[in-house]
Amino acid sequence: MAAQETTIDRGAHPAVLAYLCIAMLVLLLMMVFGALMRMEQAEFIAMGPMWFYELMTLHGAGMVGVAGIAGIAILWHFLGQYVRLSAPVFVANLVLFVAGVAMILAAVLGGNFHGGWTFLHPLPSKSMGTWSPNAAALFLGGMLVIGTGFLLLHLDIARAILAREGGFGRALGWPQLFGRAETAPPPPTIVAATMATIVNLIGIVAGAAILSMMLVNLYFPDFGVDALLAKNLIYFFGHVFINATIYMAVIAVYEILPRYTQRPWKANRVFLASWTASTVLVLFIYPHHLLMDFAMPKWMLVMGHVVGYLNTFPILVVTAYGGLMLVYRSGIRWDMASGLLFVSLFGWSAGVMPAFIDGTIPVNYVMHNTLWVPGHFHTYLLLGMMTMVFGFLYYIGKSAREMRERLVDRAAFAVFVVATLGFTLSFLSSGRSGAARRYAVHLPEWVPYDRIASVFAVLVVAAVAVFATRFLLRLPAASVDAPRATLAGSMT
Amino acid sequence: MSRRLADGHAPAHRPRIAGPPWRPLAIALPVALATPWMRGWLESSMSLHMLVQMPLLAAAGFAAAMALPARSREAIALCVGGALPCLLVASLASMFWMIPRALDLALSEPTLEAAKFVTLPLLVGAPLALAWPRLGMLGRGFVWTNFASMLAVLGWLYRASPLRACNAYPVSDQREAGEWLIFLAIATFVGWLATLFAAPSSRQRMR
Repeated sequence: MAAQETTIDRGAHPAVLAYLCIAMLVLLLMMVFGALMRMEQAEFIAMGPMWFYELMTLHGAGMVGVAGIAGIAILWHFLGQYVRLSAPVFVANLVLFVAGVAMILAAVLGGNFHGGWTFLHPLPSKSMGTWSPNAAALFLGGMLVIGTGFLLLHLDIARAILAREGGFGRALGWPQLFGRAETAPPPPTIVAATMATIVNLIGIVAGAAILSMMLVNLYFPDFGVDALLAKNLIYFFGHVFINATIYMAVIAVYEILPRYTQRPWKANRVFLASWTASTVLVLFIYPHHLLMDFAMPKWMLVMGHVVGYLNTFPILVVTAYGGLMLVYRSGIRWDMASGLLFVSLFGWSAGVMPAFIDGTIPVNYVMHNTLWVPGHFHTYLLLGMMTMVFGFLYYIGKSAREMRERLVDRAAFAVFVVATLGFTLSFLSSGRSGAARRYAVHLPEWVPYDRIASVFAVLVVAAVAVFATRFLLRLPAASVDAPRATLAGSMT
Repeated sequence: MSRRLADGHAPAHRPRIAGPPWRPLAIALPVALATPWMRGWLESSMSLHMLVQMPLLAAAGFAAAMALPARSREAIALCVGGALPCLLVASLASMFWMIPRALDLALSEPTLEAAKFVTLPLLVGAPLALAWPRLGMLGRGFVWTNFASMLAVLGWLYRASPLRACNAYPVSDQREAGEWLIFLAIATFVGWLATLFAAPSSRQRMR
């Protein structure tokens, strides 16, 4: 404990701060787009379906991108304290990300592409004249450019991990898990980074293949793409990528909460087993998005159902339980960082439950195309994944252990938690009452839910604006090595 | 924070492993492939032509370059501008030989057939051998992942093509070649990923 008390928390590399600044700015913009979409459904504003679907496409693609770069910024910051990572490759990923985002913005705002972030085949090539093949190609090309950046970065992460651990098996702690190795297991950060790297490498290669096929098909339609195969590949890539964002962001919980509580987060056998299980399961879970596709082979649907159930728990339970045990009677001093990180565990736990329910085939038939599913992933991503990012922002922005937090921050914290719960419960309630997903115009009986959701959405945007502003104001302190974590029991 | 960079796991012991017999391979492979019987057999179907004969020709060039002393390989690689030009030449040359028209011409024009036997070893295999040691994990990983995804796309193109792409081979051959390409793409990627799970000594051997 004495050693930890004298520990200086490392300041963020300028590139990490660049990642986080871009992530927060894009996040706020996409949140405004999301709020506008809910207001359109609530009939508070009237932008028309064309704009609605364009914003929906940008909101989806943008949020996945934000989750990706924010998650990998956290991973890079902490993993860099164990292995030697390449800063030029990290910067190259950001440059490619910005270039890809510019292509996507041009495709949507300039070319009117509005086929959704899932760009399901054959929609991009069959726009009925509402967008050109060039606009669709720009969107798909943007995705490919972003994927290339992440591929390079994950290869560099793999290189660095292998240089320290020797192989992915050792980095996942297999000698300790399956053998009788006496050596210490790898730290949780390395285990999580290895898992995210393995699954993302597989997902990105599949994504590159389907994006290239669809690009060819745009200009040479005679080269037909099997729509079901395309859907499988897109959901495989997309689901793995978005899942990996939370597995990267959770590193903030593994690294920061132990500093606050002065208790180490141990990579014990249960921990290692859960991460190994999820490394496999996350690759086979995506068919739960295809349960309504009658042409899918039955065994794949059964697999999606079963794996969907199984993958809900290992890491989540280990992390949530581990977090509770870490905090219990530790005398933790709650501040914005520790509070947000703790809430994120609740957001993650609560967020997976609607997916668990929706992954049950008879439920899926009636719920999957309703707002129930956006209710699930908004809880999971906003109150889970992004809350981990907000916790990290407050942690890295601290210049001393004992920093008085302003009332506005504490108010923003409370508003954020309450409004996000209200916002996501509005989605879930709409879904329960049958409100269709991805509809610009809602039936009159769905509109009250939309109105409640719109109010909560505005409150969420306001709270996140406070988080982002505070982070930007504290940028100079964020790059300095300093004791940051308020130590458990250090104040009376 | 206590276990950081300085106290990473001890590097694993790496036993010295004898490399493949490059020189015999460099001589035997092209000679064997040039025999009329082998040519006739390997060019009898699109799959054998594209996925066995051509890679083996490239492998002969790879073996020939690897048979050179390391210092000579280094000197040549430096002279041609490093790893990147070598990779570019190898990809452009292999792309040319993936065009169905090139396959047709190799079967109908003896000059093109001879060009295939010269260019695949010299412009694909040898440059790869020169570039490979200069590529780190990042470069090699990028090559393998791109190779796998583009091989899958190529396989799809052959399968999905509405036209018979080669005069020399029926459509059924074309589809079969496409399926093999997709299989190879998956096998290549899975094989590469599996090497990353292995201990360093095994990974060294697999290179």
